[in-house]
Amino acid sequence: MDKAQEIAKQDEKSIEKTRGVYEATPAVDIYENEDEILLQADMPGVVKKDISVDIDNGTLSISGVRKLETEGAATYEEFTNVEYVRSFSVPQAIDVEKVEAELKNGVLRLHLPKSEAAKPRQIEIKTA
Amino acid sequence: MFTRISDIDRLFGTMNFLQKKLDNLYSDYGRSSGYRWELEQTFPRTNLYENGDSFEIRAEVPRLEKKDLNVKIQGNYLEISGTRESDAPEGYKTHKTERGIGSFSRSFTLPADVDSTKVEATLKDGVLYLILPKHEVAKPKKISIS
Repeated sequence: MDKAQEIAKQDEKSIEKTRGVYEATPAVDIYENEDEILLQADMPGVVKKDISVDIDNGTLSISGVRKLETEGAATYEEFTNVEYVRSFSVPQAIDVEKVEAELKNGVLRLHLPKSEAAKPRQIEIKTA
Repeated sequence: MFTRISDIDRLFGTMNFLQKKLDNLYSDYGRSSGYRWELEQTFPRTNLYENGDSFEIRAEVPRLEKKDLNVKIQGNYLEISGTRESDAPEGYKTHKTERGIGSFSRSFTLPADVDSTKVEATLKDGVLYLILPKHEVAKPKKISIS
Protein backbone atom coordinates (compact mmCIF):
# COMPACT_ATOMS: atom_id res chain seq x y z
CA MET A 1 0.00 0.00 0.00
CA ASP A 2 1.48 3.31 -0.97
CA LYS A 3 1.21 6.58 0.85
CA ALA A 4 -1.70 7.99 -1.15
CA GLN A 5 -3.80 4.92 -0.44
CA GLU A 6 -2.92 5.08 3.23
CA ILE A 7 -4.13 8.64 3.43
CA ALA A 8 -7.28 7.75 1.54
CA LYS A 9 -7.97 4.87 3.95
CA GLN A 10 -7.48 7.12 6.94
CA ASP A 11 -9.77 9.67 5.39
CA GLU A 12 -12.48 7.08 5.06
CA LYS A 13 -12.21 6.05 8.69
CA SER A 14 -12.33 9.50 10.20
CA ILE A 15 -15.66 10.62 11.59
CA GLU A 16 -15.57 14.09 10.17
CA LYS A 17 -15.17 14.22 6.43
CA THR A 18 -13.06 17.21 5.63
CA ARG A 19 -11.86 16.56 2.14
CA GLY A 20 -14.44 15.39 -0.32
CA VAL A 21 -14.14 14.44 -3.94
CA TYR A 22 -14.84 16.91 -6.69
CA GLU A 23 -18.41 17.38 -7.73
CA ALA A 24 -19.45 16.91 -11.31
CA THR A 25 -22.70 17.33 -13.15
CA PRO A 26 -23.77 14.24 -15.03
CA ALA A 27 -25.21 14.60 -18.51
CA VAL A 28 -28.90 13.81 -18.37
CA ASP A 29 -31.67 12.94 -20.80
CA ILE A 30 -35.29 13.37 -19.77
CA TYR A 31 -38.22 11.79 -21.56
CA GLU A 32 -41.90 11.66 -20.80
CA ASN A 33 -44.86 9.64 -21.91
CA GLU A 34 -48.38 9.25 -20.62
CA ASP A 35 -47.39 6.95 -17.78
CA GLU A 36 -44.05 8.15 -16.57
CA ILE A 37 -41.10 10.47 -16.73
CA LEU A 38 -37.85 8.73 -17.60
CA LEU A 39 -34.51 10.15 -16.60
CA GLN A 40 -31.18 8.81 -17.85
CA ALA A 41 -27.90 10.01 -16.42
CA ASP A 42 -24.35 9.11 -17.44
CA MET A 43 -22.29 8.10 -14.43
CA PRO A 44 -19.37 6.03 -15.69
CA GLY A 45 -17.49 4.08 -13.05
CA VAL A 46 -20.11 4.41 -10.33
CA VAL A 47 -21.31 1.20 -8.68
CA LYS A 48 -24.76 0.51 -7.32
CA LYS A 49 -23.96 0.89 -3.66
CA ASP A 50 -22.50 4.35 -4.12
CA ILE A 51 -25.60 5.82 -5.71
CA SER A 52 -28.33 7.53 -3.79
CA VAL A 53 -31.60 8.86 -5.11
CA ASP A 54 -33.73 11.03 -2.85
CA ILE A 55 -37.06 12.63 -3.41
CA ASP A 56 -37.96 15.14 -0.79
CA ASN A 57 -40.35 18.04 -0.87
CA GLY A 58 -40.64 18.08 -4.64
CA THR A 59 -36.91 17.85 -5.24
CA LEU A 60 -35.24 14.82 -6.74
CA SER A 61 -31.56 14.59 -5.95
CA ILE A 62 -29.25 12.05 -7.44
CA SER A 63 -25.75 11.45 -6.24
CA GLY A 64 -23.20 8.89 -7.31
CA VAL A 65 -19.63 8.60 -6.10
CA ARG A 66 -16.98 7.09 -8.32
CA LYS A 67 -14.31 5.27 -6.35
CA LEU A 68 -11.76 3.81 -8.70
CA GLU A 69 -8.52 2.40 -7.38
CA THR A 70 -5.47 3.31 -9.36
CA GLU A 71 -2.17 1.57 -9.74
CA GLY A 72 1.07 2.89 -11.05
CA ALA A 73 2.08 6.39 -11.98
CA ALA A 74 -0.37 8.51 -13.88
CA THR A 75 1.13 9.70 -17.14
CA TYR A 76 -1.96 11.81 -17.60
CA GLU A 77 -5.44 11.90 -16.13
CA GLU A 78 -8.44 13.48 -17.78
CA PHE A 79 -10.90 12.18 -15.26
CA THR A 80 -10.64 11.36 -11.61
CA ASN A 81 -12.87 10.17 -8.82
CA VAL A 82 -15.82 12.47 -8.62
CA GLU A 83 -19.21 12.75 -7.04
CA TYR A 84 -21.91 13.13 -9.65
CA VAL A 85 -24.56 15.38 -8.17
CA ARG A 86 -27.64 16.88 -9.67
CA SER A 87 -31.08 17.81 -8.49
CA PHE A 88 -34.33 18.42 -10.28
CA SER A 89 -37.71 19.64 -9.19
CA VAL A 90 -40.35 17.02 -9.81
CA PRO A 91 -43.99 17.79 -10.39
CA GLN A 92 -46.49 16.91 -7.68
CA ALA A 93 -48.00 14.36 -9.98
CA ILE A 94 -45.20 11.83 -9.47
CA ASP A 95 -46.01 8.75 -7.47
CA VAL A 96 -43.01 8.77 -5.14
CA GLU A 97 -43.73 5.28 -3.82
CA LYS A 98 -43.34 3.67 -7.21
CA VAL A 99 -40.14 5.27 -8.43
CA GLU A 100 -37.74 2.69 -9.85
CA ALA A 101 -34.03 3.01 -10.50
CA GLU A 102 -31.68 0.82 -12.49
CA LEU A 103 -28.00 1.04 -13.23
CA LYS A 104 -26.42 -0.47 -16.32
CA ASN A 105 -23.11 0.25 -18.06
CA GLY A 106 -22.63 3.41 -16.06
CA VAL A 107 -26.05 4.79 -16.91
CA LEU A 108 -28.57 5.48 -14.17
CA ARG A 109 -32.14 5.10 -15.35
CA LEU A 110 -34.94 6.46 -13.22
CA HIS A 111 -38.57 5.68 -13.88
CA LEU A 112 -40.84 8.23 -12.27
CA PRO A 113 -44.42 7.01 -12.71
CA LYS A 114 -47.21 9.54 -12.76
CA SER A 115 -49.95 9.12 -10.22
CA GLU A 116 -53.34 7.96 -11.45
CA ALA A 117 -54.88 11.39 -11.02
CA ALA A 118 -52.31 12.98 -13.31
CA LYS A 119 -52.68 10.63 -16.24
CA PRO A 120 -54.49 11.97 -19.26
CA ARG A 121 -58.00 10.68 -19.48
CA GLN A 122 -60.22 10.22 -22.45
CA ILE A 123 -63.67 11.53 -21.75
CA GLU A 124 -66.49 9.73 -23.31
CA ILE A 125 -69.32 11.72 -24.71
CA LYS A 126 -72.68 10.33 -23.89
CA THR A 127 -75.48 10.68 -26.29
CA ALA A 128 -78.65 11.91 -24.77
CA MET B 1 -14.46 50.47 -51.63
CA PHE B 2 -17.51 51.45 -49.62
CA THR B 3 -19.62 53.33 -52.02
CA ARG B 4 -22.88 53.16 -50.22
CA ILE B 5 -23.72 53.77 -46.59
CA SER B 6 -25.56 50.43 -46.48
CA ASP B 7 -22.27 48.60 -47.10
CA ILE B 8 -20.77 50.13 -43.99
CA ASP B 9 -23.90 49.36 -42.09
CA ARG B 10 -23.69 45.74 -43.13
CA LEU B 11 -20.06 45.57 -42.09
CA PHE B 12 -20.91 46.75 -38.60
CA GLY B 13 -23.77 44.31 -38.49
CA THR B 14 -21.38 41.44 -39.17
CA MET B 15 -18.98 42.68 -36.53
CA ASN B 16 -21.77 42.81 -33.97
CA PHE B 17 -22.80 39.30 -34.88
CA LEU B 18 -19.28 37.96 -34.39
CA GLN B 19 -18.95 39.85 -31.12
CA LYS B 20 -22.12 38.23 -29.84
CA LYS B 21 -20.93 34.78 -30.89
CA LEU B 22 -17.71 35.26 -28.97
CA ASP B 23 -19.53 36.50 -25.89
CA ASN B 24 -21.77 33.46 -25.91
CA LEU B 25 -18.78 31.19 -26.26
CA TYR B 26 -17.50 32.28 -22.89
CA SER B 27 -20.77 32.52 -21.04
CA ASP B 28 -21.78 29.03 -22.13
CA TYR B 29 -18.57 27.49 -20.98
CA GLY B 30 -18.91 24.94 -18.21
CA ARG B 31 -22.64 25.19 -18.09
CA SER B 32 -24.46 21.98 -17.51
CA SER B 33 -27.32 22.49 -19.91
CA GLY B 34 -27.80 23.32 -23.50
CA TYR B 35 -25.10 23.45 -26.07
CA ARG B 36 -21.64 22.86 -24.71
CA TRP B 37 -18.08 23.11 -25.86
CA GLU B 38 -16.77 20.18 -23.97
CA LEU B 39 -14.59 17.22 -24.72
CA GLU B 40 -16.93 14.58 -23.41
CA GLN B 41 -19.42 15.37 -26.12
CA THR B 42 -17.14 14.14 -28.84
CA PHE B 43 -14.72 11.61 -27.45
CA PRO B 44 -14.30 9.84 -24.13
CA ARG B 45 -11.98 11.10 -21.46
CA THR B 46 -9.09 8.79 -20.75
CA ASN B 47 -6.43 8.18 -18.14
CA LEU B 48 -3.06 6.62 -18.75
CA TYR B 49 -1.16 4.90 -15.98
CA GLU B 50 2.23 3.32 -16.20
CA ASN B 51 3.34 0.34 -14.18
CA GLY B 52 6.73 -1.28 -14.54
CA ASP B 53 5.65 -3.92 -17.02
CA SER B 54 2.49 -2.50 -18.44
CA PHE B 55 0.38 0.49 -19.25
CA GLU B 56 -3.19 0.92 -18.22
CA ILE B 57 -5.65 3.01 -20.15
CA ARG B 58 -9.04 3.84 -18.75
CA ALA B 59 -11.76 5.53 -20.73
CA GLU B 60 -15.17 6.81 -19.74
CA VAL B 61 -17.63 5.12 -22.03
CA PRO B 62 -21.04 5.17 -20.36
CA ARG B 63 -23.87 3.34 -22.12
CA LEU B 64 -21.54 1.60 -24.58
CA GLU B 65 -21.68 -2.16 -24.92
CA LYS B 66 -18.88 -4.48 -25.93
CA LYS B 67 -20.07 -4.52 -29.51
CA ASP B 68 -20.01 -0.73 -29.79
CA LEU B 69 -16.28 -0.48 -29.09
CA ASN B 70 -13.21 -1.14 -31.19
CA VAL B 71 -9.64 -1.20 -29.98
CA LYS B 72 -6.73 -1.31 -32.42
CA ILE B 73 -3.09 -1.69 -31.47
CA GLN B 74 0.03 -1.59 -33.55
CA GLY B 75 3.42 -1.16 -31.91
CA ASN B 76 2.95 1.89 -29.72
CA TYR B 77 -0.09 3.15 -31.57
CA LEU B 78 -3.47 2.65 -29.98
CA GLU B 79 -6.82 3.57 -31.36
CA ILE B 80 -10.12 3.44 -29.52
CA SER B 81 -13.22 3.99 -31.56
CA GLY B 82 -16.87 3.41 -30.97
CA THR B 83 -20.41 4.40 -31.63
CA ARG B 84 -22.76 5.88 -29.11
CA GLU B 85 -26.18 4.82 -30.16
CA SER B 86 -29.21 6.67 -28.97
CA ASP B 87 -31.01 4.85 -26.17
CA ALA B 88 -34.05 7.08 -26.38
CA PRO B 89 -37.16 5.07 -25.59
CA GLU B 90 -39.92 4.78 -28.14
CA GLY B 91 -43.12 6.69 -27.75
CA TYR B 92 -41.71 9.24 -25.35
CA LYS B 93 -41.65 12.97 -25.64
CA THR B 94 -38.19 14.47 -25.23
CA HIS B 95 -37.56 17.13 -22.62
CA LYS B 96 -33.80 17.22 -22.52
CA THR B 97 -30.97 15.44 -24.30
CA GLU B 98 -27.51 16.25 -23.06
CA ARG B 99 -25.94 12.87 -23.63
CA GLY B 100 -24.25 12.91 -26.98
CA ILE B 101 -24.73 10.36 -29.70
CA GLY B 102 -22.62 9.47 -32.70
CA SER B 103 -19.27 7.90 -33.30
CA PHE B 104 -15.89 8.84 -31.97
CA SER B 105 -12.33 7.80 -32.57
CA ARG B 106 -9.31 8.59 -30.52
CA SER B 107 -5.74 7.55 -31.06
CA PHE B 108 -2.77 7.55 -28.75
CA THR B 109 0.94 7.17 -29.09
CA LEU B 110 2.05 5.16 -26.10
CA PRO B 111 5.41 5.91 -24.50
CA ALA B 112 6.66 2.44 -25.50
CA ASP B 113 5.77 -0.51 -27.70
CA VAL B 114 3.24 -2.96 -26.31
CA ASP B 115 2.73 -6.65 -26.86
CA SER B 116 -0.55 -6.60 -28.74
CA THR B 117 -1.16 -10.32 -28.18
CA LYS B 118 -1.34 -9.95 -24.41
CA VAL B 119 -3.59 -6.92 -24.18
CA GLU B 120 -6.58 -7.31 -21.90
CA ALA B 121 -9.66 -5.21 -22.29
CA THR B 122 -12.56 -5.12 -19.85
CA LEU B 123 -15.68 -3.07 -19.76
CA LYS B 124 -17.19 -2.43 -16.36
CA ASP B 125 -19.78 0.09 -15.18
CA GLY B 126 -19.27 2.28 -18.20
CA VAL B 127 -15.49 2.40 -17.94
CA LEU B 128 -13.17 0.67 -20.39
CA TYR B 129 -10.03 -0.76 -18.83
CA LEU B 130 -7.14 -1.68 -21.09
CA ILE B 131 -4.11 -3.44 -19.69
CA LEU B 132 -1.27 -3.19 -22.20
CA PRO B 133 1.82 -5.21 -21.31
CA LYS B 134 5.00 -3.65 -22.60
CA HIS B 135 7.00 -5.34 -25.28
CA GLU B 136 10.00 -7.31 -23.96
CA VAL B 137 12.43 -4.69 -25.23
CA ALA B 138 10.67 -1.90 -23.41
CA LYS B 139 10.40 -3.65 -20.05
CA PRO B 140 12.54 -2.40 -17.21
CA LYS B 141 15.59 -4.57 -16.55
CA LYS B 142 17.44 -5.19 -13.41
CA ILE B 143 21.15 -4.99 -13.80
CA SER B 144 23.22 -6.88 -11.34
CA ILE B 145 26.56 -5.48 -10.40
CA SER B 146 29.34 -7.96 -10.81
